[in-house]
Parts: sequence; C-alpha cells; structure tokens
Amino acid sequence: MAAVVIRDLHWRYENAREPALRGCDLEVEEGAFLGIIGPNEAGKTTLVSCIKGLIPHSAHGVYQGSVRVFGGEVRQKTALQLAAEVGMVFADPEAQFTAMTVEEELLLGAENMGLPLPLIAERLAWVSELTGIADLLQKSPYDISGGQKQRVAIASVLAMQPRILILDEPTSMIDPLGKRQVFEILRRLRTETSLTLIVVEHNIEDLAPLADRLAVVAEGRVARVGTPREILEDTGFLGALGLAAPEVTELFARLRADGLHNGAVPLALDEAVAEGRALLAGARGAP
Amino acid sequence: MAVAGSGAEGHSSVWELAPGEVRHAGIVHVVMLALFTGIGIVVGTFGSLAVPIGFVSAFWPGQAVQAIGGVWYGMWGGIAGTIFPFISNSLSGSAPLPVSLAYVPANFVQSMAAGWAFRAFRADPSLRSGRDWTVWIVWGVLVANLFGSFWGSNVLVFFGLVTRAAWPTVWAGWFVGNTIPSIVLGSLILKYVSPLVVQTRGFTKGYWA
Amino acid sequence: MRRRKTLLGMVPLESPLYQFHPLTRMIGLVVLAVLPLFVLMPEANLVFLAALFVLFAYARVDISRLRIYLPLMVTVAFFMFAITVLAPDRRPDDIRLQVLGVTVYYQPLMRTFASYIRIMAMLFATIFYFSTNHERDMLVALRAARVPFAVSYVLGLSIRSAAMFLEDLTTVRQAEQARGLDDSGLSIKDKLKMYGLYLIPLFTMSLRRADEISNALFARGYTISGRTITGGPRPDYVLSQYRFRARDAVASGALIVLFVGVAALGWRYGAFQLADSPLNRWLAGALQP
Repeated sequence: MAAVVIRDLHWRYENAREPALRGCDLEVEEGAFLGIIGPNEAGKTTLVSCIKGLIPHSAHGVYQGSVRVFGGEVRQKTALQLAAEVGMVFADPEAQFTAMTVEEELLLGAENMGLPLPLIAERLAWVSELTGIADLLQKSPYDISGGQKQRVAIASVLAMQPRILILDEPTSMIDPLGKRQVFEILRRLRTETSLTLIVVEHNIEDLAPLADRLAVVAEGRVARVGTPREILEDTGFLGALGLAAPEVTELFARLRADGLHNGAVPLALDEAVAEGRALLAGARGAP
Repeated sequence: MAVAGSGAEGHSSVWELAPGEVRHAGIVHVVMLALFTGIGIVVGTFGSLAVPIGFVSAFWPGQAVQAIGGVWYGMWGGIAGTIFPFISNSLSGSAPLPVSLAYVPANFVQSMAAGWAFRAFRADPSLRSGRDWTVWIVWGVLVANLFGSFWGSNVLVFFGLVTRAAWPTVWAGWFVGNTIPSIVLGSLILKYVSPLVVQTRGFTKGYWA
Repeated sequence: MRRRKTLLGMVPLESPLYQFHPLTRMIGLVVLAVLPLFVLMPEANLVFLAALFVLFAYARVDISRLRIYLPLMVTVAFFMFAITVLAPDRRPDDIRLQVLGVTVYYQPLMRTFASYIRIMAMLFATIFYFSTNHERDMLVALRAARVPFAVSYVLGLSIRSAAMFLEDLTTVRQAEQARGLDDSGLSIKDKLKMYGLYLIPLFTMSLRRADEISNALFARGYTISGRTITGGPRPDYVLSQYRFRARDAVASGALIVLFVGVAALGWRYGAFQLADSPLNRWLAGALQP
C-alpha cells in the first residue's frame, strides 16, 4: 500500500513571486525508507511540509494538486489526524522545543493524542532507550548539546508512534558525533520498526546505505526517483545539479568510465574496500 | 474569525481583507500571545528595576510592548499586555499580587487603545503618514497612558501606598514614565518592524485573526 | 547550599517544602500574598514578615539573595515617605511635629509606615513563592486546580519565551561587542537608547520563532481547545506523578482557615487596623502636645 501519493503538486508561498513546487509527483510505499536529496532552495522542505500538512494547514499561499496520505487527502485531514499519521523532525531541534524539561517535551505529542497514562509511560521508556536520552529527562531541552537536542526532537515525535516519520535535514546543525548518533537511530528504526521513513539529507554518503530509494528534488520538481545505486551511479546527473555522490562512488564511477573497473559502483566505504580489493586482486592476477 | 466584507473604504490598507480572504485564529496566535507575554516579562521587569521611583518606574518600556502587541495582534496582544505585568511586577517586586490584579483595567487599556484606534481609523502600523503618527501618538501614547496612569495612581491610593494629596505627583510620574518609552521605543519598533509583521500569518487584521 | 536556576530566579535543590504538592504551595502563595491586605496593624504585619523569613529559612532559600530587593525596598520607602512629607493627607486634628525644621504630621506618617510594612509583607510572600517553586511546579499547580490546559500551556510557553528573549538579547549584545562596541562608557541615556535599538532585531527574531514554534505544535497535534484524537480528556502524565496527600489537605485547609479567619476579623469586625496598634497608640500618646 502506498503511504504517500503526490500528484502534480504546485505551491506558491504568499508574498513569493515564484512557486516553490512546480508539479511534483511522488509515491512512497508503506514501510519504505525514502531519502530526499537536492540542491539548496530546490523545494525539499516544502515538499515534506506538504506531506506533513504544514502546507496548506499552517501556511498561506496557493495550493494546487493532490497529496494523499494512506489514501486520505492531506488538505481534508485535521492537525490531530495528521499528527497521528505523520511525524516530522525539523532541521533546527531548538526551534521545536516548547516545554520546560526533556520529559515534558516527549510527553506533549502523546498527551495531545489522548493516550492512556500507562501507554504514555511505556512510550516514554521506549523512546528514551531508543534515542539514548534516559538520563536527560529532567534537564531543560535548551541546556543539552546539539546532538542530544536532535535526539530529543526525534524522540518527541517517535513517542506519538506516527506511521510515517519525516526528518528534514536532521544532521545539518549538529557535530559529527551527533550525526553518527542520529544515523544510528535511523538504522535502528529501519530494522526494528515498520515505520515509513522520509529523510531529507545533504549527507548522501550516510543516507544512501540506509535508503530503499532516493528522490532527487530540483527546481520545485521531483527530478528523479530510484534506488540509491541508480541515482548515485549517474554522477553526471548529480554534478549538473551541484550535488556530489560519495567520494568512493565518484572514484569508482570514474574508474568504470575509464574502463578500469567493470563491477558495481560502491555506495559506502565498506563496499569500496571490497571492490578495491577485488580490483587490486584482478590487477595482480592480470598478465 | 474575520471574513472579507464590502465595507472597504476605497483605499488599500493592511487592515483590508482581500476578496474571499478568510482568517481564523490559530496556533500561531496562541504562540504570539505567549511570546509577547515573555517579551513583556523581560522588558517590564527590566523597566521596573532600572529606574524605580517607588511603585512607579520613571521609564517603563512595558507600555511600548503593550501598545505594539495590541496593534499587531489585536486581542491576543491585549491579553499578553494584561498578563505580563502580573509576572514582571512580581519578579521586580514593584507590586504584590492584589495590586497587580487591581491594575488589570489599566493594563488592558494601555494594550488595546492603540489596537482599537489603528483598526478603527485604518492607520498603518508602519507609521507611513502624518495621520498614522497622529493615531499612534494620540491613542497609543496619550489616551492609553492618561487612562493607565489615572487608574494606576488611584489603585495606589486605594491600597494606601500613596496619599491622596500626592495623587497628582504620582499620576504625573506614571504618565511621563510610560509616555517617553512609548514614544521612543514604540515608534521605533512600529516603524521598522511592522513592515515585516504585516506579512506574517500571525498579524491580526481583525481582533482575533 | 545547592541551588537550581529557574527561569524566574533561583530555588534550593532540596527543600522540606517540596514534600508538599505544588497546588498546596500555590494556595500558600494566594493566601500569604493577599492576607496582609486585611491587616494594617504594623505589629501584625511585622510578625507576618518575621514568619515569612522563618519560612524562607525552613525552605532553605539562600536569604543573602534577597539583597537584590534592597534597592527597591529603599526607593519605595523613600518615595512613600517623601510623598507623605510633601503632600500629606492631613486632617484637622493630626499631630503636628517639627523635624529638622520641616513640619510633618504624625498620623499620615504612621499610616504610610503601616502601608509600607503591609506592602513589604505582600511582596515578600510573592518573592517566597518564586524562590521555592520551579516553573513546572506552577504549571502542575494550575493543572491540579483544573485550569484549562491551554491556559497553563500558554503560561509555560510565556515563561519559556522570556528566557528565549533573554538568550536572544545576549546573542545580539555579543554580536555588538564582537564588532567593537564598548558600552561601559555610555551614559544612562545612551544605554537606554542602545537597548531600544536592540529591540528591533529581538522582535524580528521573535517573529521567526513564532513561526517555528507554531509549526512544531501543529506537528505534534496541539489544538487550542485541548481536544484529543480519541475525543477523551487530555491525559496529564506529569500531574499523575504528584500525589495530593493528607499533609497537603491539612496544610491547605489550615491556610484557607487562616485566610477566612483573618479576612473575617479584618473586614467584618475591623480587627488588625491601625487603631488597634499598641505602637500607634503609644506614639500618638507620647507625641500629643
């Protein structure tokens, strides 16, 4: 079943001259992990805001086309229905905090849904463990590190157990350690839950190994959708958009273009090491 | 809720609704209410602590925040302007709870006089014309603070905090202490921040949306 | 003494007062801050103030921190007495005195003294509450008192916003200083002008925050009405962690009885008024020509 179906979606913000989206089409299967990449100002955040329903519910502008989540038109759904179905983590974790303590931050969504108290307690324990923030519960969300803040933000959305989780550039404002921790959470979510994950991310190298498919957004349109390998192997296409595939992918794509490598193009370092070994072994064995 | 009607005065203003425009009070208004209350707590406390002369501050910028809130966010700003003095007065120690409670009508008028006048007279919050300035100075500064200082100084007399004979002095101190920051800070903020505010979804053309 | 910084001040990390439910503590605030309103007898309010200071000590509040209120206490006293000297509410039979060549009247001065003590009693009751209650305690108290969630939530967000505004102010100031601004040599007038100019970027930052926070609340299903997706009442996990025990019932009951008793004695039977004050009677007798 399709979790999200977007058809010919156009959106122009009030007071903006140019539309942010100019006819997007996209489908996301339930339980899939979709990575969204694209240059700055391409419309990635606007696109996921339409899936979450922030557009048009919480923004003024001109909306055309259709966004359906689990078969229902987003425009027709209430904030509460959307909250139960789609969770969203924003780029700046601090911008989404409204409570005095981490614990209250985690509770807000679950309480808004009207869950029974024992279930809330259960979820509180689950998300605290999953995101590694159990020792932060009584602290102010403003007095913790950037990486911890983003983990709290993810946990606060996960506590609502939405069917779709959107993360909009979750690592853009945190340090390398924080990034690793966020990707580790994503890896666990992918393997331990049946969540549909939609992640907007510039860090293609870390995103590609996790994603089932990548969507490339450019100039307000979904320019291409495919498996990470299909997308990243076409380094020329990415380069034209100002995007860079992981360095190891670029290296092997060049080697293949030069006829020096005819195997698969690796997407991550581990794969590259394996491919490199095979390549070197082949070279040694060559007459 | 505000809905476009047929009562436009024939000239475009930030208060007019576009044809078919429907505005609802939403979360953003509640957030603005909270943010303005927060700003008022800081500015009001600072003002009360900075230049206190007894229960009256010789320079209370809180009134500028009150008036601006009423202009930009209608009743949401009015509520914020009525609530924040409770907390700022408690934090600065400038008035106990019962006195703050008695100030409520004054704080509401100090917040909403400009809010009402700008809407009633279709004045531009960015203070573009002499007429806009007149509405601001007359309603946002003079009328608001005349009432506020009148009520407030009577509250002080009622609670026995000042003598009846001292009422004119207290009233004048209150009036001047609120009027100067309103003119200086209020005008500055309205002039330079209003052009941004009127483009945001939180800007309130009616009283609630 | 270990303390915890709150958005509104500083509270002790551990205090015997914390064994009481936040609602009991808020009832304490309302009772103690309003009680002096019914009392003008300075001796009674002085006893009340002394009792408050005992409470400060019992609650392990760092009393030295109360020094920050000293300038205010002095200016309020100066203001009230200066007004009374310069513009007394005189009655024909008031006792006239000459102090350092200035004519003053005993009764207006005594009334001012009594009012001053009363206002200090009310003020320190309020300060006591903010010195012993975290923001969360206030919100729990309001929710326990069945105040609608929207109201308590807005109050919490307001307090949070005050802190954000201060953080933004620090950011703007640091940016100014990084560009070489040294405000130490500025006059008060110029400093006030400078703070006025700070307000423009601060307001602009607040507008951005309003958008972000609204989106975050929408994303988590917040509704102004407090409606839930199940249609049932909004659960309150934090509130469920607190229990209103027998000692809370006893303390709240005692506070309410105290309040009703003093209010009834003061309003209905005219007790605790200036005329009842032994100090007043003694001074009036001693100063009578």
